[in-house]
Amino acid sequence: MGQDMIELKGVTKQFPGVLANDAIDLSIEEGEIHAIVGENGAGKSTLMKILYGLQQPDKGEIFFRGKAVKISNPSVAINMGIGMVHQHFMLLPSFTVAENIVLGIEPRKRSIFMDYKKAVEITQDLVRTYGLKVEPQLKVRDVSVGIQQRIEILKALHKGADILILDEPTAVLTPQETEELFVVIRKLVKELNKTVIIITHKLQEVMALSHRVSVMRQGKLIGTLETKDASEQIIAEMMVGREVLLEPLEKTTVEGKTILEVNHLKSRDNRGLLALRGVNLHVKEGEILGIAGVEGNGQSELVEALTGLREIESGEVMVFSKNLAGKSPREIRESGIAHVPEDRLITGLSKDATITENMMMGLHDQEPYAKKGIHTNKQTIRQRVETLIKKFDVRTPSQDVLVENLSGGNMQKIVIAREFAFDTPILIISQPTRGVDIGAIEFIHQQIVEKRNEGCAILLISAELDELFRLSDRIITVYEGELTGTFNNGEISKKEIGLYMTGKRKLSKEGGA
Amino acid sequence: MLGQVFNLSLLQNTIRTATPLILAGLGGLLTMHAGMLNIGMEGMILLGAFFGVVGSYFFASSFMGVVLAVVVGIIIGVIYGFFVIELKSDEFIIGIAINIFAGGLTIFLLRSIFGVKGAFSSPGIVSLPRISIPLLDQIPVLNTIFNNHSVFVYISWVLVVLTYIFLYKTPYGMWIRAAGEYPEALETVGVRAKRMKYISSIACGVFCGFAGAHLSLGYLTLFTENMSANRGFIALAAIIFGASNPIKTFAAALLFGFFDALGIRLQVVGIPSQFTQMIPYLMTVVILFIVAKKHMMQKKKVQKEEGAIQ
Amino acid sequence: MKKVFNKKDMEYLISLFLSIVVALIIGGFIMMANGSSPFEGYRALIRGAFGSQYSLANTFGRTVPLILTGLAAAISFRSGIYNIGGEGQLYLGAFAAAYVGITFTSLPGPVGILLAIIAGAVVGGMYAFIPALLKVRYKIDEVITTIMLNTVAILLTDYLVNYPFAASQGKMGGTDMVEGSYRLTRLVPLSTFNTSIFMMSFIALTIYYIMQKTSAGYKFKMVGQNSSFANYGGIDAKKQMIIAMIISGGLCGIAGVFEVLGTHYRFLQNISPEYAFDGLLIALIVKSNPIGVVFMAIFFAALKTGSITMENTTSIPSELVLVIQSIIILFIAGEAGFKGMFKNFLMKRKLQQKVGEE
Repeated sequence: MGQDMIELKGVTKQFPGVLANDAIDLSIEEGEIHAIVGENGAGKSTLMKILYGLQQPDKGEIFFRGKAVKISNPSVAINMGIGMVHQHFMLLPSFTVAENIVLGIEPRKRSIFMDYKKAVEITQDLVRTYGLKVEPQLKVRDVSVGIQQRIEILKALHKGADILILDEPTAVLTPQETEELFVVIRKLVKELNKTVIIITHKLQEVMALSHRVSVMRQGKLIGTLETKDASEQIIAEMMVGREVLLEPLEKTTVEGKTILEVNHLKSRDNRGLLALRGVNLHVKEGEILGIAGVEGNGQSELVEALTGLREIESGEVMVFSKNLAGKSPREIRESGIAHVPEDRLITGLSKDATITENMMMGLHDQEPYAKKGIHTNKQTIRQRVETLIKKFDVRTPSQDVLVENLSGGNMQKIVIAREFAFDTPILIISQPTRGVDIGAIEFIHQQIVEKRNEGCAILLISAELDELFRLSDRIITVYEGELTGTFNNGEISKKEIGLYMTGKRKLSKEGGA
Repeated sequence: MLGQVFNLSLLQNTIRTATPLILAGLGGLLTMHAGMLNIGMEGMILLGAFFGVVGSYFFASSFMGVVLAVVVGIIIGVIYGFFVIELKSDEFIIGIAINIFAGGLTIFLLRSIFGVKGAFSSPGIVSLPRISIPLLDQIPVLNTIFNNHSVFVYISWVLVVLTYIFLYKTPYGMWIRAAGEYPEALETVGVRAKRMKYISSIACGVFCGFAGAHLSLGYLTLFTENMSANRGFIALAAIIFGASNPIKTFAAALLFGFFDALGIRLQVVGIPSQFTQMIPYLMTVVILFIVAKKHMMQKKKVQKEEGAIQ
Repeated sequence: MKKVFNKKDMEYLISLFLSIVVALIIGGFIMMANGSSPFEGYRALIRGAFGSQYSLANTFGRTVPLILTGLAAAISFRSGIYNIGGEGQLYLGAFAAAYVGITFTSLPGPVGILLAIIAGAVVGGMYAFIPALLKVRYKIDEVITTIMLNTVAILLTDYLVNYPFAASQGKMGGTDMVEGSYRLTRLVPLSTFNTSIFMMSFIALTIYYIMQKTSAGYKFKMVGQNSSFANYGGIDAKKQMIIAMIISGGLCGIAGVFEVLGTHYRFLQNISPEYAFDGLLIALIVKSNPIGVVFMAIFFAALKTGSITMENTTSIPSELVLVIQSIIILFIAGEAGFKGMFKNFLMKRKLQQKVGEE
């Protein structure tokens, strides 16, 4: 490796209530691929935003090639040769590819006019130099996610980036696209002498790609390792603190009958494209059926279709032999399905409302909480909420606190408490522990298994394979809106299931019930 | 009787009544492109009209009238920008506040500066110059329609072209549009999105200042209470009708100006003018409906085609 | 009953108080610039609003349309749909009342009054239904459509009273007088204070009850705060928005009815001095709280009636109150932003102190 390109010393950033970066010391060497890993909220993105001038550190120094620098805005970073590809692409959908690439440093005619022809030429030159194919004249909204990422990379390179920061670049990519991206990154480093910083939480990628890896946890930099000296285990332990000792979950066997059955379900995503291409599945009483898949392969649409939040094009959703397809969310709830949605702040809660108001959703016009379905009965509601707060260990001074003032874990507990307390025979649970601290994860897992042991049929969707393997009795894999396999837990390894999740392997369709 | 209504001076009046709509429309579409729906244009025009008269009267110069109208426009543009951009207040509440503020302040000042109620008119107010185009007076019809208008009529046409070039042919216009579409994307390439938004809201203030000065100093030289008379909202309608494109907005403003002029002439001959006055407002609702409906149909069509393939 | 004020409400009340005080101080400076004494000005204003039985009657008479339009705006804002079209709905409601009052003249008084109220509410509600439907069915911004439809309604009534329904005697932009027995009794001689205040109170209490104490009120609130959450919880958000909008339009229509039956006894082409816009501002200032609407409506009414006395006894034009009102709005709209700036500033200072200590 080469010299230190960038050195951070004692970089600290405070946000209201969170110390996002706590005295970070980090050095990036020229010509290396440096991975930065950590759990959600560990402070990786904040650190990179500081490096790119989007955030200002409250304390600490940054050295660039040995000289102290102050990166007060992205222009400074760009001039230093730092480029960044954000997790959410910073592209203008209604502008063309060429316009996006030259944005900020447009070629000009007579110094005030935009030279669009030149912009197209520049783009074509970039395509030739770096071997990343894009169509300069297309509108960005008309190209795929993988291409959009290429545009981002070209945009950064065009601005003269020697150091490329990639924030969770594979989160939205298919396995093939991920492979292609890795090839590009290696080429940039080896042949063109660029330096790459890659932020990720996927350890396989760290092992496959990086030269060195820095681990962050709760705003602190835990350490930097040579990747060849590290293993996934070591890095994982650094990420979570100490070896995580999870209490074993006690599962009792419940022999139940099938109560949720989905046949040939088809539905479309928000863009009008077919997201579910004839899904078949069934869940039995006392069973947790886990759904594994790379995000964006129809899981969200499946949950929404089953709960009445998305229009169903064709197919059946049978609950106790009654078809619920096309029914309203309300009718579906009344037929016995409760639902923990994937995003609590978008769908699961109103953050401007109190805990009580959030907990009474669905009961607001039911006896005895509303007399004759009209007059709200505060007394009974408060009692119920009080009980649930205790049972689900929601940490709050009172039930009149606004939800926005609670931590992610406590918010999630409110959603789970409300939905579990409906005591429905079927539960659909999506991403139950996303952005939740470890203590709360453990608690939530126990609650889910308890429900299962009571005989509830549970459909569990999670992006965390560990979670699926820990909780599920059976796992099915989805790829591009189709089921690619179904396995009893213990039948298949995490590595192997990856092949089904990426459509590289397929079992014949799950038949009927 | 129809001859009294539909004649050359109707077209001449159209040009004249469309001008404030064009000017305010250009200002409003700049903020629209920068991602702000400005309903404060009504108040901005009113302030421009009032301070145009103040400047013209006290400095005995129509140019100073325009300068004062523009200065006030800039101040209001900065205030609007500060609240919407910096404090992230609801743009429509700020717009309403500006309208009420303008309505109250102009009447208040009308009384305390000029000591009159309702309207102020005086020979001391210098009107804006009229422009006579040399060769045009040789051509009979065109001369009547297009010649000898107040200076802002011609300025507004030039501004239409300039605004179009600015928005679509220069990097700055691109940045304004980017600031409206996805400000973070602009920030990350090193251009301040906030700055672009401020520029657009100040430009809107300036353009509305022009519109106001044209109203009070262009043909008649007077200020009357609430003399903007909904023009800010008609300009908004023109922007929506013109899909925020300067050329199309210009066309919509001319169209709405025509109905305005037609209404005035109908009144003169005793035909109810309310329905012609209604047209811009109704057309806006209708066009929004048509656009939304078309959008939905397209989506359905795409689904059908895709369904056929699968 | 125990009233729980959470921290956010408390902070808001303080901001509101500060906004009003600062706006009044700015108003005072403007009075000084005008060459008048702010103390005299405000004294005249208060006297004009509350100083005598007559002025009190005028102030409270004015609260009738303001509370109705304020609640109308509040219920729509709460449900996440912005009814800016109150003015148009008010005009149509008023016209409907006048139509009933000059057409069905042989009904017993109370029946005629009730019929007029119903007609006004229905017409106002239906007129609000159009933008509501466009919003939920076609996702068309209701702010723009209601603004546009305002002018359409005002122009339409303008046409109606100048042509087909013009008063039989003299052309003055108004209808004939409504049937005598439909006119609401004046409670204080010479003032316009009339029995509509009782009906308004009944309606306001009903709205308060619906908004604060029923499952319907809960639905409105949840739809307004997060419509995805409401849908997920089994509430039909679209339906709630439409209902809220119809109620909102109906209330504005009724406000128009009372102007006709209680104040003018006929429809006039400029019957409302932008009551619905005042109502909008009232609802915005108190963040759609129904009790807040009542207090703020009294404040607005007092400013208005007081300002007329102020203008007559001092040389301060009454429009000053519009300036004061708009400044309050600006501060309230910027409240969250100002608070954020202030908190940021405090945090930075605290952090700098910490750094300094090390």
